Amino acid sequence: MTDTLQVRNLCKYYPGFSLEDVSFSLKPGRIMGLIGKNGAGKSTTLKAILNMVRPDSGDVTVLGEDFFQHEAQCKQHLGVVFGGTDFYPLKKLSTITAVTRRFYPTWEQQAYENYLRQFALDESKQFRTLSNGMKVKYLLALALSHHAQLYLLDEPTSGLDPVSREEILQILTHIVGDGQCSVLFSTHITSDLDRCAHDITYIQNGRVLKSAEKGIFLQSFDHLKTAGEHGVLTLEEIMLRTERRNFDESAL
Amino acid sequence: MNLLYKELALAAHPTSLIFAFLGCLVLVPAYPYTVIFMFGCLAPYLTFLYARETNDLWYTAILPLSKRGSVQGKCLLICAIQLFQLLISIPCVLLRNSIGVANNPVGMDATVAWYGFGLIIYAIFDLIFFPAYYKSGYKAGRALIIAALPMVLLMVAVEGSVRIPALRWLDSSSPEHLLQQIPILLLGILCYGALLPVAYRISARRFERVDL
Repeated sequence: MTDTLQVRNLCKYYPGFSLEDVSFSLKPGRIMGLIGKNGAGKSTTLKAILNMVRPDSGDVTVLGEDFFQHEAQCKQHLGVVFGGTDFYPLKKLSTITAVTRRFYPTWEQQAYENYLRQFALDESKQFRTLSNGMKVKYLLALALSHHAQLYLLDEPTSGLDPVSREEILQILTHIVGDGQCSVLFSTHITSDLDRCAHDITYIQNGRVLKSAEKGIFLQSFDHLKTAGEHGVLTLEEIMLRTERRNFDESAL
Repeated sequence: MNLLYKELALAAHPTSLIFAFLGCLVLVPAYPYTVIFMFGCLAPYLTFLYARETNDLWYTAILPLSKRGSVQGKCLLICAIQLFQLLISIPCVLLRNSIGVANNPVGMDATVAWYGFGLIIYAIFDLIFFPAYYKSGYKAGRALIIAALPMVLLMVAVEGSVRIPALRWLDSSSPEHLLQQIPILLLGILCYGALLPVAYRISARRFERVDL
């Protein structure tokens, strides 16, 4: 079965920070969590995948097609949500939607209206009047209404209340349920991934520390357990212990 | 058309759209009409400034468009504003002539040559402004300063030309002088038609290297 997303040896060099040889793949019907502390390179990875940041080298394949060669066609299959980004603050949601839907032949107005109702969004409101959580819900409604096969979500649950987070996680679980769609989901709220992710990719200092199916991923960090600890560590514990150890070593 | 619709509905600053209607200023009996072209050059500046403040580039980046598509949208919008401005001035000039308004006493009249010079001014401004802006994707002020210098020099040259007795035919609306001015209009059309695609290609190439 063709991977929904393949990222191979993605590199981007900045003064003071580098994304180096980032590689992972995402199969249909899977939710992958992209974890790492602030500044580790999660958002840069997503932006490099989308060509918003021009990678210095590396390949991205979406549904078997080279993304950089066929950017516009590949984006037809993408739903993208960047948490914390404001678009056209003075425009009404209805105006933004009217523009967005023209770009997607697969747009389903009924599905969009259902998501508006589900998220309690009022189309006559200006974008700036929405809370951060409602902005994410609106962008998610846009992404979900054109039957994308790959959803790239950058910190979508940051700023959302627990009920809304639960609601969004349920939607993500539902959309991958048919085995056709996949979700790549960057977050530092690791408890969200404990509940819904099938695969985890951990980025540390611009490099992939580990990318694997969640069970294998958790077991591979067993060496971080202290004497007497039983069971697998949570993602939060793995991150804390890995970053703490890294910090201790650099402090020494 | 989707691109142009998106630019008009979301990205264009409302003042830019008002500037598009300022071709009607040729109805004012005494006015330096080349200033109308300055409004047509300020329209891209305002639009790019507004686009930057509203994260237009980010929104466009998540649409099914390449970076070239993003640049193409802006070029289409500015081309539409500038050409609309010239087109809307044509019925105003006809109206002005039909009611017998005297020749513009403060500068060049809206003659065939004036339209040609307008297209040349737009072509040169756009050729400098677009690539300068898309080098960074956000420095609209810098791009304006660089592109405004040749624009102002050309405006001064056009307005000044009618003060030179040998070039008074440029300011004349008599049929024989209008015929004489046609090559200037053709040169303007040629400049605009050739330089705007060049501006687009350079801008698109530069923007592909920009990190959002």
